[in-house]
This record gives sequence, C-alpha cells and structure tokens, in this order.
Amino acid sequence: MKIESLDECLRISEILELTAVNSAQFQDEVRSALGDSPSVIEINLSQTRFMDSSGLGALFALYRATGKHEGVVLRLLNPMPEIQQLLELTQMQLLFEIVRR
Amino acid sequence: MKTLLICPSARPAVPHFSESGPLATAPILGACVVSHWIEHLAALGARDFHIIAANGWDNVRAAVGDGARWGVRINMIVSGVEPTRDEAVSRYQSKGESEWLPAPDDVVSMSHLPGCPDLPLFESYASWFAALIAWMPRALTPARVRVVEVRPGIWVGSRARISPTAQLIAPCWVGDQVFVNAGAVIGPGAILEDRSVVDSKAHVTQSWIGPETFVGPMTWVANSLAWGSTLIDWRTDSSLCVPDPFLLSSLSRLQSAATTDRFGRALGAQARPEPNLNLITALHVRLDRGSNQKLPG
Repeated sequence: MKIESLDECLRISEILELTAVNSAQFQDEVRSALGDSPSVIEINLSQTRFMDSSGLGALFALYRATGKHEGVVLRLLNPMPEIQQLLELTQMQLLFEIVRR
Repeated sequence: MKTLLICPSARPAVPHFSESGPLATAPILGACVVSHWIEHLAALGARDFHIIAANGWDNVRAAVGDGARWGVRINMIVSGVEPTRDEAVSRYQSKGESEWLPAPDDVVSMSHLPGCPDLPLFESYASWFAALIAWMPRALTPARVRVVEVRPGIWVGSRARISPTAQLIAPCWVGDQVFVNAGAVIGPGAILEDRSVVDSKAHVTQSWIGPETFVGPMTWVANSLAWGSTLIDWRTDSSLCVPDPFLLSSLSRLQSAATTDRFGRALGAQARPEPNLNLITALHVRLDRGSNQKLPG
C-alpha cells in the first residue's frame, strides 16, 4: 500500500486487497497520515481485486474518523466492477464519492 | 398429440447458467424452463413429449420425471449437439404423420418462454431478467395453486411468510416458502424464487433472487441476479462471489440438488457455503456476557 500527501490531498493507492488480514494495518497507516488534516482523501481501488466485510469496515471507520472534520471529501477511485457491486450491495456508495478517471 | 422440445445447449452470453447445468432446468418463477413448456403444451393437447437434450439430459430427466404430474408421457432423446428446428423436424418427425401439434408448437426450442418468442432467455443476463419480468403475469396458470395475486402485479406463494412491516411494490413475485423479514422492501421488478429469505430492512429491486438464497439484513440488491453467494449485475454482466455469508449466501447445505446454487458451483470452490463466522462470534460474545453477568452472584 502506498500513501502520499500532496498539498491538502491524501492519496492512498496500490491496495491489492482489503480484508481481515490487512484492514487493521490499513486503518493504522491511514490514521497516522490523517494528522496533516487533508481536505480530500482519495483511495485508489483500481488494483483492489478482493474486499470483504473487514475491508468495508475499514472504509467505514475512515468515514467515521473523518466525519469529525467538516468539509473533508472522501473519494474512491476506479473500483473494479466486482468491488463496485460490493459497495452497492452494502450502500457504501452513499458515503463515498465514487469517481472514474 | 406429439411434440418435440429442444433443450438449449450452452450459451456463452450467460456462463453462470450454462456452466452449471442444462439451461432447460434453470429456475423461473417456481418452476424450471422445461416445466413451463410442458405445462403450456399439455394445455394445448400434447400428450407425447420427446425432449432432445444435448448435455445434462439426466438433470432434465430428473426435473420432469416421466411426465405423470402433467398427465403426459416423456421420452428423452440424447443428442450430441443441439439441433435446429429444421434438423429436428427432418430427423424425428415422419412425413405424413398427423398426430403432431400444429406448427409452431410441434417443434419448440426452449430458448424463450411460451408466448414470448421475442424475449430470448439466454442472449444476455439482461434479456433473461427482461423475459422473467414479462413472464410474471403469465406464470399464474390454473395449475398453479400455491401462488396468489394478492394485489395487482404482486404474486405471493401461499406458504410465504411476509412481515406486516415489509413493503411489496408491484410488479413483484414472492415464491413459495419465501420469508421476508421486517422492514424489507421488495420491488418494483423483484422476483424471489422459492425458499429464499430476505432479512430485515433489505431492499430487492429490479432483481432476481434465486432459490434457497439468503439476502442479509440491510443489504441492497439492485439490478442484479443473485443466487447463492453469486451476484451478477445484469446491466454490465459483472459478477461477484460475495465473500461474507451474512450479506448474501446459499441456504442449502446440500450441493447435490439440481437447482441448488448453480451459480456458485460455476464459480468454483469459493462459493461453497460457509458458516456465518460473524454470527457465531456475536453469539459467543453474547454467551460470554451472559456468563459474566452470572458470575458475581
């Protein structure tokens, strides 16, 4: 997983899977990077081939953590169709902005 | 009167149906494709049925039996490939025989439902769903006593259990022995096949839920075909094996039945039903809490 901070944008990418195995690590690393108070958080899911409820939980935890700061935009970039299906099945697309670039 | 039914062989556009069993036994509104055709043609006077099956003929035989339930005789013909209508006529109909049903019901390719030749079933997942929605008003034949139209455009199996707080929006079909829990929203354009369960506050819209499929609480199934743990978006043909059984899973523990979780078997071992680990964990926590409360006393 790669995390980079550019201006006020936090970009998280190269997530191959987000499951019970790595969701805690994902949360820890993203939380520590949140210290800079970014106004936009972009999670690039273009390489994410597998996600389970723990991965969805990690995204939801991020939503709750950033919910305390008004005006923070959470964006999911280019999810694969299967991941998009999972997001729609759980209505997570209502919490995140899903963007294709 | 005689008639000849041609079972469609594999169709690449609907791999999850094709790879998992004969298309003629795919479940549609409480019966399989071949059953709908036999019922329809029996009503037209057919008594001798010859069914040509290229693959999975034993599954087709298991689905229709000897035809006694419709009061007809069924003869299975095993063929290497699916014949065209003309090939079937030249091969299996003798010239001058008059005991066949009038055309086009003398030879029928079951790639669509009776009376819907312009709605092919197996050209795409979208065409499958469109055909089922169009078929809903026709599916309630006099022979079907276990389904009732409770309100215009809403059909419910007589042994279905629906919570008073669940919402049914026409058109929708709730099959036999289906359980719809509190606050669930079914429809518009929803089909719940027999023995499926839709848990509390789940939404099913513009979707088909296969037999013995569990839709978890607060899960939203839209524009999809769901069977067992497999979810197919019929607009994009994208498919997903849902990893968490509390969202979507097969209720069947027996994989041998012809109509059980065929999508899942097509996807491979991933789709095998698994215990709901989250539920088990939650139960353990609850039990632990219970025991802790008792200890101080």
